[in-house]
Amino acid sequence: MAEDAAPASAAPLLELDGVGITFGGLRALTDLNLTVGEKEIVSIIGPNGAGKTTVFNAITGVYTPDEGDIRLAGQSIAGRPPHKITDAGIARTFQSLRLFLNMTVRENVMAATYGSTKATPVESMLQLPRARREAREVKALTEEVLSFFGQRLAGYRWDQPAYSLSYANRRRLEIARALATRPKLLLLDEPAAGMNPNETHEVSEVIGRLRDELSLAILVIEHDMHVVEGISDRVVALDHGVKVTEGTFEHVANHPAVVEAYLGRDPEALAEA
Amino acid sequence: MPIGVDEWVAQHTDRRDAGTGWRRVMYTLEARVSWWPRLLIVFVVGLLFAQLNLNSNIEQVAINSLIYAILALGLNIAVGWAGLLDLGYVAFFGTGAYGYAVLSSGNIHWSAIATIPVVFLGTALFGAVIGLVSLRVSGDYLAIVTLFVGQAFMEVVNNVAPGTLGGVNGLFGLDPINAFGASISTPKGYYYFALIVLAVLMGLLHLLDESRTGRAWRAVREDELAAKAMTIPTSAVKIMAISFGAAVGALAGTIFAAQQSNVFPTNFTANILILIYACLVLGGAGSLGGAVLGGIVVTVGEQMVSSPTDAGYLFYGLILLALVAKVRPWKVLGAVLAATAVGGVALHAIVHAISPSATGGSPGSAGWIGHLVSHWVIVPTNATTYGNILYIALIVAVFAVVRVRESLRPFVLVPTLYIAACCWESRLIVNPSITAQILIGAILIGVMTARPQGLLGTLRVEVV
Repeated sequence: MAEDAAPASAAPLLELDGVGITFGGLRALTDLNLTVGEKEIVSIIGPNGAGKTTVFNAITGVYTPDEGDIRLAGQSIAGRPPHKITDAGIARTFQSLRLFLNMTVRENVMAATYGSTKATPVESMLQLPRARREAREVKALTEEVLSFFGQRLAGYRWDQPAYSLSYANRRRLEIARALATRPKLLLLDEPAAGMNPNETHEVSEVIGRLRDELSLAILVIEHDMHVVEGISDRVVALDHGVKVTEGTFEHVANHPAVVEAYLGRDPEALAEA
Repeated sequence: MPIGVDEWVAQHTDRRDAGTGWRRVMYTLEARVSWWPRLLIVFVVGLLFAQLNLNSNIEQVAINSLIYAILALGLNIAVGWAGLLDLGYVAFFGTGAYGYAVLSSGNIHWSAIATIPVVFLGTALFGAVIGLVSLRVSGDYLAIVTLFVGQAFMEVVNNVAPGTLGGVNGLFGLDPINAFGASISTPKGYYYFALIVLAVLMGLLHLLDESRTGRAWRAVREDELAAKAMTIPTSAVKIMAISFGAAVGALAGTIFAAQQSNVFPTNFTANILILIYACLVLGGAGSLGGAVLGGIVVTVGEQMVSSPTDAGYLFYGLILLALVAKVRPWKVLGAVLAATAVGGVALHAIVHAISPSATGGSPGSAGWIGHLVSHWVIVPTNATTYGNILYIALIVAVFAVVRVRESLRPFVLVPTLYIAACCWESRLIVNPSITAQILIGAILIGVMTARPQGLLGTLRVEVV
C-alpha cells in the first residue's frame, strides 16, 4: 500500500497549523504542522513521551491548543468540545482500551450513535415514530459496523458484555464503536499494541480495508515498524513534541534524527564530543 | 456461523448463567418472556393482593412499599444508570411532598390534575439546577455537594419560611388527590393509584433504558472520556439524569403527602435517604425490577422488625433459610440442627438441675415460638448482663464461623446457633427498637456478602 501512495488532494481533510500545547511549564507540542488528505493513511512514530497521544487529544478536543489552529476540511475545530468534534467526523480509539465494559458489545456500538440520532427521552418512552425509526436505523448500522470484522467479532458475541471479550476483540470493538459515529477521519492509537504476530498482521489488513472499503482517512500511532511500513502513505516522526521529519517510511526510518531519538547518539561520536 | 464452528462456545455463557434446578426455570422464563408481559403479571399480582382482606396496618405498609419502590426507581436513574452518587435525592422527595402540600392547602387548593404536573416539572427543573451546579465535581465530591443539598432542604423547610412551609410543625389538612370533583379517599384507593403510577413508570423507564438516552447514561457511568469521544454530550446527559430522577422522586413525594394528608420536615431526613439507598442497593442498582423489589423488601422488613413477634419470625426464619441455602450436604444440615436442638435441651436440663434461678427467666418470644423454646434456651431471672455478654459472644462466634476451616464449620455452627437463640430470647427481643436496626444491618451485610450486585442486579466488572 505504501507503494501506490495517494497524492494528497488540494484541500487536506485534516490540517494542524502551528499547534502548540503547554502543560504548566512543560511544552508538550511545539509548532506542529500536520496534514492528512482524503483516503490517506498517515502514521505518527516517536519514542515514549514524544507527544503522539497529545496530538490525538488535541485533535479530538480533550486538550485545547494554546497556539495554532486545527481545521477539518477547512473549518476550524480547535476549542470545540470533544463530542462536537466527533460529530463533525473525527473518531478515535484509545491506547489503553476505554470500552463501556459493563455494556454489551452491541450497546457499545449503539452508544456511539448518540450524536447522529435526535429522539428526545419523551419520544423514546412513548415509542413515537421518530424514536422507532431511529432505533431501526441504529440497529442496522450497528450490525453493519460489527460485521466489518466478520468471524472475528461474530454474531453470538454481540449480546455479551464487553468485558467478556478477548484483548484483540476489544481492540476490534473499539474500532467498530468509532466507525458507528460515521467518521471521515479515524484516529487509531496503537491498534496493534499487545497483539500477537498473527493479529498484528490482521490489524494491517483491517486498516487497509478501512481505507479502501469505507474511504476513510486514517491517522495512526504505532510502535510496530512492520505495521507502519506496511500501511503508511506517509510517516511523521515526533520527538519532545517537535516534528523531527516527515515523508515516506524509508525516508523517515533512515533519518539521522529519528535514529538518534530511538537509539541514542553514536557512542563514538559522543566520546569524541 | 459455519457448521460446527463455535456452537458450543457460543452457548457457553447461557449454559453457565442458566445453572440448574429452579434457577434454570427462572432463567428460561426471563429469556422467553419479554418485558411487558412480566410487568403485566407483576401489576396483576399487585391488584390481586389488594383484593385480600387486609387490615389498615398492612394496607399502609403496602402503600409505603410502593412509594419506596417509586423512590428507588428515581434514585436508580442517577445512581444506577448514570453512576452519579446523588446524596441530595431526599430533597427531591421532599420538594415533591412540600410542593403538593403547599398547592393543596391554605388558600390555594389546586386540583391534583394541576398540582402533580406542576410539582413534577418544577422538581425536574430544580434537579436540573442541582445537576448544573454539581457538574464541576464528580465521584466523592459530587456526593459531598449533593449531601449539602439534602441538608439545605431541611434547613429551608425548618427555618426559612415557617409561615408558608409550617416549620417544624409541618403542613397538615392537605386535600386528597382529586380531579373533576372525584377524589381518592381510602388507603386502598392510594394503593391502586401508587400501583398504577409504579407500573407505568416501570414501563416508561424500561423503554428509556433501551433508548439512546439510557445508553448514554450508562456510557457516562462506564467511561466519561470515552463517552465524550463517542458523540455523547456528557454534561447535558448528567444533568438530565439528575433531573429525571428528581422528577420521579417528586412524584413519590406527591403521593406520600396526599395519602398522609400532612408533611413534616422529619419525613425527609438523612435516615430516609439511607433507607432509599438501601432499597436500591439491596435490590440491585441498575435494575428496574431490583429497585422495586428492594423497595418492597426494605419497607416490609423495616415494618416486621419493629414488631417483636414478626421480628422473631424474621430472625428464626432467616437463620433457617441461610442454613438450608448454605449448609451442604443435607446430612450435615440435619446433624447441625439436631445437635443444636438436643444439645440445647440437655444443657437446659443440666443448668436447671444445678441452679434453678439460672433458668428462671422466660423467653422473650410470645406465642408458639416462646412455648417451643422455653425448655431449650437458657434465660436467667435477671437477664440483662447475661444477655449483653451473650451478644458479644455471638459476635465472636459468628466471626469464628466465617473464619474457621470448612471441615470444622459444622462444629462451630452448633454453639453459634444456640448462643444466637439464647441472646435473642434474653436480650435482643426486649429492646425492639435497637434490635430492629441491628437486624436490618445484619440482613444487609448478609445479603450484600452473598450477592454484592443486589437481589436482581447484574454483577459489574470494574477493572479487567
